[in-house]
Amino acid sequence: MRLSPVARLVGLVAFCAALGACATTPVQPWERAHLARWDMRWDPDSVQTAMKQHAYFSKEGSSGAIGAAGGGCGCN
Amino acid sequence: MNGRSNPFRARPELIRPRLRVFAALLASVVAIANAAAVEVGERAPNFRLPQLGKEAKLGLADVRGKVVFVDFWASWCSPCREAMPQYEKLQASLPHTDFALLAVNVDETRSDAEEFLAAHPVGYAVLLDPAGDVPKSYGLIGMPTSYLIDRRGVVRWRGQGFKSADLDTLRREIDRLVKEPADAP
Repeated sequence: MRLSPVARLVGLVAFCAALGACATTPVQPWERAHLARWDMRWDPDSVQTAMKQHAYFSKEGSSGAIGAAGGGCGCN
Repeated sequence: MNGRSNPFRARPELIRPRLRVFAALLASVVAIANAAAVEVGERAPNFRLPQLGKEAKLGLADVRGKVVFVDFWASWCSPCREAMPQYEKLQASLPHTDFALLAVNVDETRSDAEEFLAAHPVGYAVLLDPAGDVPKSYGLIGMPTSYLIDRRGVVRWRGQGFKSADLDTLRREIDRLVKEPADAP
């Protein structure tokens, strides 16, 4: 089965369009000002995080459930 | 298949040339992506930028014939902030007049650079490139990145990130490069 030139062209355009869907515009190293802001960090304020965790495991009785050693049984 | 060729049968004689074209395209895309990064031994791309706190623009052509250290920095980049005072000390301790240090700032907002420099003043030239054209032409892959350029405009050393251990290497390289004649082969 030979494809007509038009069908080939359509196929090529569809292939290129599909590739375009995979395209990303990476943030260049010199464009990372916003990403470097303190409030973009996973843990922007370690004291506040510690306080929140304390409130959480006190309420839930689940000491150790947030990354600390232990299984979250509340028994350690 | 009743005398008719199977359209889904693999036909190596057709696939191989196409694979070669695909491989060549892929190789060229990879080459283009890597070509942008300026390597040691290559000529440093020229630039001319406005200076912070001065009227006149400054560029590599203005310090041609000198050994030049170009540092790309931003106020939001922690290692850059660590490096700036260290480079200030380095420059102050160098006796060479044939050495120039150009710090290219890539902050989008000029006041961010000014605020940092008010707290950590430096004696060397600070150039402003908020659009990031110069780091783009150098193909930076991280911040900070610095280049040591010899008298002929060729990159002789490149530092990615800042390590205080690099300062000794840098000092030795500068001492060596200023002894080279400007017209050395």
